[in-house]
Amino acid sequence: MAEAGDIVHVSDRDGVILVRLLAGTVRTEAEVDALGRGLLSVAEVPGRQVVLSFLGVKHLTSLVLGQLIQVHKRLAESGGEIRLADIDPQIYEVFAITHLDRLFKIYEREDEALASFAGGAEA
Amino acid sequence: MTANLPKTDDRGAWIERVLATNLAEIRPAERDVLARLKELAYDDDHLFAVRLAFEEALVNAMKHGNQSDPNRSVRVRYRVSPECVEICVADEGPGFNPGAVPDPTANENLDKPCGRGIMLMRCYMDKVEFTPEGNEVLMVKNREP
Repeated sequence: MAEAGDIVHVSDRDGVILVRLLAGTVRTEAEVDALGRGLLSVAEVPGRQVVLSFLGVKHLTSLVLGQLIQVHKRLAESGGEIRLADIDPQIYEVFAITHLDRLFKIYEREDEALASFAGGAEA
Repeated sequence: MTANLPKTDDRGAWIERVLATNLAEIRPAERDVLARLKELAYDDDHLFAVRLAFEEALVNAMKHGNQSDPNRSVRVRYRVSPECVEICVADEGPGFNPGAVPDPTANENLDKPCGRGIMLMRCYMDKVEFTPEGNEVLMVKNREP
């Protein structure tokens, strides 16, 4: 069974939680579940501000999108938020096609996404 | 009902694989399909599209069609020619009505975690056809738009 730590790396950047996906693809049941556990554990703290970096991710499926949506909802319930960054153009197109670019604030780079929380900036 | 696939024609014979209902089974089949695309010099956009649609179809077949039942299998047939890529995926579930799947881009569905797979298949492939029972899908991606 994949562990969450195999799929995501979590760090605290001045109060904003930065999550980096470690795997270029997340597709087996175990990997998708591990991603979900990793992200939901981050969302357990109410009101958390989270940046998820897709750096190096070249492929994803709707299962991963589903996990992101669950985390988005969990955080939103407690006043928190997840913002996305470093998304490959082909994967960005998936977000655009599914209109999830309306649900998530998406930044070009993770430092921009981190700074957006510090400054309260809108995407 | 089974999708009406031509057995052989000028695009060659179909390759058939029977997969157990386990998402880990997808990778070897996908690797073979993508290798054939690369061999015929399909571009990166085609590789991305076929990979995404292939995975979505198989995930749907295993999770929704076979309801993750390890005693059921998924039959996948494919062939790659210089003109197009054809993929057929059949599960052993009761089928469904693809027309009844809610639009995942509607405002009321935007934050629902499921329902995007078929939409992505339709967006990235040139043809997506389900059998009337809904437990088999044929997808085609043409080299030329």
